Amino acid sequence: MAEQSIAGAPGRAMAADGDRSARARFVIVLLCVALAFSVFLSLTAGASDASAVRVVRDWFTGAMPADAALAARDQLIVYDIRIPRVLLGVLIGAALAVCGAVMQGLFRNPLADPGLIGVSAGSSLGAVAIIVLGTTWLAPVTLALGTLALPLAAFFGGLSVTLLLYAIATRQGRTSVATMLLAGIAISALAMALTGVLIFMADDRQLRDLTFWQLGSLAGATWPKIGTVGPVIVLALSAMPFLSRGLNALALGEATAGHLGIPVQRLKYTAIVGVSAAVGASVAVSGGIGFIGIVVPHVLRLAIGPDNRYLLPASALLGASLLLLADSVARTIVAPAELPIGIVTAVAGAPFFLWILLRKRGVIDL
Amino acid sequence: MIEARDISVAIGGKRIVSHVDFAARPGEVSAVVGPNGSGKTTLLKALTGELAYTGAVTLNGRDLSAMKPVEAATLRAVLPQSTALSFPFTVREIVRLGLIGGRSGVLPGEDARLPERALARVDLDGFAGRFYQELSGGEQQRVQLARVLCQVWAPVLEGRPRYLFLDEPVSSLDVKHQLIIMNIARDFARRGGGVMAILHDLNLTAMYADRIFVLRNGELAAAGPPADVLNDELIERVFDCRLKVGALPSGNMPFVLPQSAA
Repeated sequence: MAEQSIAGAPGRAMAADGDRSARARFVIVLLCVALAFSVFLSLTAGASDASAVRVVRDWFTGAMPADAALAARDQLIVYDIRIPRVLLGVLIGAALAVCGAVMQGLFRNPLADPGLIGVSAGSSLGAVAIIVLGTTWLAPVTLALGTLALPLAAFFGGLSVTLLLYAIATRQGRTSVATMLLAGIAISALAMALTGVLIFMADDRQLRDLTFWQLGSLAGATWPKIGTVGPVIVLALSAMPFLSRGLNALALGEATAGHLGIPVQRLKYTAIVGVSAAVGASVAVSGGIGFIGIVVPHVLRLAIGPDNRYLLPASALLGASLLLLADSVARTIVAPAELPIGIVTAVAGAPFFLWILLRKRGVIDL
Repeated sequence: MIEARDISVAIGGKRIVSHVDFAARPGEVSAVVGPNGSGKTTLLKALTGELAYTGAVTLNGRDLSAMKPVEAATLRAVLPQSTALSFPFTVREIVRLGLIGGRSGVLPGEDARLPERALARVDLDGFAGRFYQELSGGEQQRVQLARVLCQVWAPVLEGRPRYLFLDEPVSSLDVKHQLIIMNIARDFARRGGGVMAILHDLNLTAMYADRIFVLRNGELAAAGPPADVLNDELIERVFDCRLKVGALPSGNMPFVLPQSAA
């Protein structure tokens, strides 16, 4: 009763009790600023001393640089290496975080992740098959597709696992989310076993490629790759906001969401196809980057609540920022060499996640 | 009117509800009673389209199976027995979910204040900022009722009656809140809506129901106004319990009936 009188006290121009939307909008604005900062940092930091600021300034003012050769080199580094890499980082960070949030809403479980239901494992199998068998059994494929063979194989690997799962879990037009989760674990194990066979067959050079790819990296960022996966990710992510109200209702259970007027089957179908497309495309170019999909939505739920209308855009922004920061660390900490980004996200993400769990014990109810 | 003809439901090869006729009229509270496992909740799930059934269900004359979820949602709201939540929503955020369909029936500008009004109706004033998962079972049940009320706040929309499906709405409530909730149901009916409620307390049922449907082993054992249905013979046949309707306890054994509420 004391709370009630405080809430009703005059002169308290606050949002209604229990309404976190104002705070959520504020956090989203903050995250926009953070992303701008991360983009700036990623463009300026790197193994080379190329100055992104100078390149942009020259480009704007049209000034002729004093040292033409140096300017040309800087321009090359900024335009052809750093900008595509930043774009790719934004796309993939946003995709991983949003897909994590959507999966968690869909499976009604804060631990769900595209990695959990086998989408990532399927993508990995596709990619590893190209790396190991690309010169022998799958030579016609790699010849026909060139550098696109690996991303496409990863994409179709992820998609076929998802479609298989969907077929297994759907009976009479209803998809059982629990069956899908369990079948996903089984298919994941199978895909990882097949990947293991391929790794066993690989030679030394292939092994090194494999390791690097499995740990995840944005090092392969080029304009053609962005042209391939960018539209897929952008299309998939732009469908997600339309799912947010349905995902909110799904927190009450599938039946109740249906009673509230949500077309639950269509919601599940759209979410699954969207997630497998975005995750398949991400894994295809950058390998397996862990923790973004679990940590980002989780932290944001603590900050702004689980309302997907705010959680999804906020996840995209924070996911993009964090991946750019992790990539900046990966590129500079052992320069001129670079660390796989998956190591950075895991080393930073895992302890942080544990700390959150310990600090908020009791609030998070699995 | 909600009308169900010859409804049968089988789950996993076992028939749970067989050949039940049911009707809930606008302006009335229709109660469904019966022993555990007699098919009450299964019947409710068939009537709300949650379970596949054979037979026909119509809502205001329209076939339920031909309705889109959003169309059905404007005509009826459903309160399940209990609702577990997967994420830490506040009470206000839960109640707001009732407004997803956007057909509460209040003026557009008033929607924003509806959660508070609904919470006040279920005697949860000041609970809007609390976390749902931290509430007691009875409080959670009332939060869900507030959400359901938001969905069909106006019992009649555009001249068409709307319906509440309540699955044991008072099962975990204290006696004061049992009366509050049953009064909400009766008020909804008095203002032109229809209510289907699964109840266990026969005294509450007799007090609030305009019509009782008695289920036994998935079949309709009796239907009609309380005075016609509730008799010694039926109670023994359906509940397998020799009880006397209207008999006072012997001696000075105290008893408390909801009917005595001032």
